[in-house]
Amino acid sequence: MFRKVKRRTDGRKNFEDESLQDDHHHNHVERSLGKSSNGFNDDLSIYPHRLSFYQMPPFEEITVEEFETWAIDRLKVLLEIESNMSRGKSFREMESVLKPLLAKLLPLNVPSRESSSLYLERKKDHYSHFILRLAFCRSEELRGRFIKAETMLFRLRFNMLSLKEQRDFVSSIDLPWETVTDSEKEMFHSKLLACSYSAIKGILVQTVEYQKTKRVTDAQVASFLEAEKFYKIPFEFVPELISTRQSFLHKGYAYVAQFQQLSLIATEFSKHLSEQLNITMRALPTLDEDDRLIPVLNNLSKGYVSIDYQQEFGSNGDGGEGLKAEMVPSTMKDMPLCMNSLMTNLMTDHHLKYTGRQQLSLFLKGIGLNAEESMRFWQFQFTSGPGSMNVEKFNKEYKYTFRHNYGLEGGRINYKPWDCRTILSKARPTKQDSHGCPYRDMHRDELSFKLTKMGLNDDNGGRGKIGDILALSEKGEYQAACTKVFEILNKDKMDYALKTGLNVDESSIVHPNQYYDRATYLEKNMKKKEEKA
Amino acid sequence: MPSLSESIKENSSALGTPSETSPEPSSQINPSMTSPAEVVGETKFYKPSTADMSHYYDNFLPFKSIFQWLNHSPAPQKDFTMREFAFEYKSGAYHRYNSFSSASEFKSTIIKAVPTRFEIGAVYPVQPKLRKTVSKAMMKPLMKEFVLDIDLTDYDDVRTCCSGTAICHKCWKFITLAIKIVDLALREDFGFSHMIWVFSGRRGVHCWVSDYRARILDEQKRRSIVEYLDVLSVKSKKNMNLRKPYHPHVERSFDILRDQFIDVIIREQDPWRLDDRCDDLARSVPDYKLTSALIRYWKENPNRSSADKWRDVDTMYNSLKVKTFDIQDWKREMIFKTMYPRLDVEVSRQMNHLLKSPFCIHPGTGNVCVPFDPSVKEFDPFQDAPNLKKVFEEDESDWEKTSLKPGIDLFNRFVADLMQDEIRAKRSRDSDDKENSLEF
Repeated sequence: MFRKVKRRTDGRKNFEDESLQDDHHHNHVERSLGKSSNGFNDDLSIYPHRLSFYQMPPFEEITVEEFETWAIDRLKVLLEIESNMSRGKSFREMESVLKPLLAKLLPLNVPSRESSSLYLERKKDHYSHFILRLAFCRSEELRGRFIKAETMLFRLRFNMLSLKEQRDFVSSIDLPWETVTDSEKEMFHSKLLACSYSAIKGILVQTVEYQKTKRVTDAQVASFLEAEKFYKIPFEFVPELISTRQSFLHKGYAYVAQFQQLSLIATEFSKHLSEQLNITMRALPTLDEDDRLIPVLNNLSKGYVSIDYQQEFGSNGDGGEGLKAEMVPSTMKDMPLCMNSLMTNLMTDHHLKYTGRQQLSLFLKGIGLNAEESMRFWQFQFTSGPGSMNVEKFNKEYKYTFRHNYGLEGGRINYKPWDCRTILSKARPTKQDSHGCPYRDMHRDELSFKLTKMGLNDDNGGRGKIGDILALSEKGEYQAACTKVFEILNKDKMDYALKTGLNVDESSIVHPNQYYDRATYLEKNMKKKEEKA
Repeated sequence: MPSLSESIKENSSALGTPSETSPEPSSQINPSMTSPAEVVGETKFYKPSTADMSHYYDNFLPFKSIFQWLNHSPAPQKDFTMREFAFEYKSGAYHRYNSFSSASEFKSTIIKAVPTRFEIGAVYPVQPKLRKTVSKAMMKPLMKEFVLDIDLTDYDDVRTCCSGTAICHKCWKFITLAIKIVDLALREDFGFSHMIWVFSGRRGVHCWVSDYRARILDEQKRRSIVEYLDVLSVKSKKNMNLRKPYHPHVERSFDILRDQFIDVIIREQDPWRLDDRCDDLARSVPDYKLTSALIRYWKENPNRSSADKWRDVDTMYNSLKVKTFDIQDWKREMIFKTMYPRLDVEVSRQMNHLLKSPFCIHPGTGNVCVPFDPSVKEFDPFQDAPNLKKVFEEDESDWEKTSLKPGIDLFNRFVADLMQDEIRAKRSRDSDDKENSLEF
């Protein structure tokens, strides 16, 4: 009750602030014209911590462009989290993938830098969160996904805070916890130890000391417990710790160690967010009048926005555009399933429908097939083999589109290979078509047949089964399914690369060419090894 | 962890061979399907007619007490008026979403409808009978007692004395143990105090937790409580994962079960005597060599008692010098697997789940679903559950002159305590609200 009131008065204060700052609008205009970047409020007191429960809605104006780019940056982060979670990555693995991405897209730096950039960082984090609330509040499913990803982001960021920041942040949250006194801790000593024994062991295993001795003694666990601060809180606040029996319970209170607090505030965070999203949903109809924002929000919530894959086309391989038309079939093993099955269909039918042609030919362009070789490749595929067309027909009806893709015809635009988002946004394939994303468009049986043909089996060295891939596809996590397939097929190479200290990109696949480049990169690394041997 | 290793040593006598302290049990127990107790139980059964039910509702069922229990106040409020009731009729028809505006409407409707029994559900934001006037999204339960349902049919793989709907004194001990363990956890761990245990009329018990804190729990929190209690992971069929050291609740439950294991399981139930069941015992051993050795040995030496077989595991563990697992761990696990309370998770978790009201008559047995207080006396379904037939013989219309009296008195005391607490707590909740609203 108390918290609610506080929030309401906060809201009122914001309102007053806004009306007092009468030249708010001017600030915004000036800023967008690039005249001044210091005329606005950059008081860090609005964002006292690096982390936030996002209890206050934004109140400054931003440009439509900021609105969109900030939201997209955050969305990229959330999608990466989602994909990692659905692939069953551990918290640690996720941390290592997300850290660089966060630094790039949503940095929250330590307060040693100058405060104006800190303010901007926190403002971007704050505003982008609220924009995505608008985009993701419309359906139960979107709300669920948003809460899950945001809560994980919160957990990841909490762990990046220093101990002092964690403590400051925790005490800033209005939760009814009490400190467990020393005498109480003494009284329940054996019970607290029993509840947190394995968790403490898990923490100690990560210490430097363990690296040396490779064992954790009971005495170490006991002295860790000795130093650990305990809090008690009504059990309703920590259902996660209750159901797994990780917390000592006494008379309605759960006894929570400081290291367990994250679980508690993360639960609180997702609860708060869930309530707020419901409120936002009810308020959404009033937004309908603003025709600048609705399309942006609609696009955002489609969720097909994914991380841009920055390729350097043509610079692939040694000396770049070295791929010969004849070589193309031999690269099929490094192609993602969508391209692989386009190739298969092309070679059996000597033909592909328009969208399929576009999807494959731009992909091949991306892996280093130049215009000349491309013409040779397509002409050969279309005109040789039983029942195929003659060269004259090919030249008349098809050559143009392939040349067009290389910017040699019409508007002379150098088209880029399609990313997953583009592929998913095209019309779904009919029976005669071969384009699209197999994880979305193929029937379960066909998909599992194709996966088997690619070399997956029901064990894959414990890395996951075909059933897992099918499950991901059915959940609509197509990119996660594709990434998982990649990881299974390239496990040995990835392991070797890690062993040789090579940088292994484990982010989710968002572009067919990214799949190919990653596969050939790992392949080359393996070859080096063989040469050495 | 010195305390843990010590406790293993302390316990080992109870876990060890039973023969030293007790007479050879195999000669005493005959694991046949009919025991004297069950025969007693059966003669007691009486299927009530519609006229019986009508007379019972009219004269005996304490409507006012039930009203106050669910309403938490003498005058009708939302806790009661927006509460769902469901009726079950003799035809098998089931009528949900009834609701009543007062105690007298509650009583008169039931007397008129004469259901074979009625069930109690959750409190909704609108009167359940008016649910069609609001959107579906509005019909989300707001509050309900936290309930638990323990039923002997869930113990069929360990009890040999009875099966299905039948019960006897021997297998009722499982229920008594379950009550002890669950009651302690709810009071000591979760801090609940307004709990009433109710005989379900045939082979199980219900527990209603009426504390305000329990009533406002959402489903996620209800789930967390059941999962905390559900050490066996009954529903998920996962392997019981007892991390060592044991959680205090597990440790405490073990202390309660350990002392009963020899009597209840080894001697009375004797579950592994029969050849088709002893394979289960052999397979529960986490060592392939030992398992196959046991199966072979018992095939060659049939009809050994459970006590013998329990000892055989020990003997062969030592003679085969098995090192792959700790036999004390295995024994402890078996004690949990055979005796730990088996809960119906869904009944407790789902807020819109309904449960039969106290003081209903079990349509199959004629037994009254009486409340009882396990802290005063262990409940004996053959002694302490009044049967409708007996009640009618005792008096025509005055419950105070019948065997219903102890149950109704107990329930009234429970309701009075609850209401007193409730009124006090409500006053402080309201004044909190007032203080907060003054800030504006």
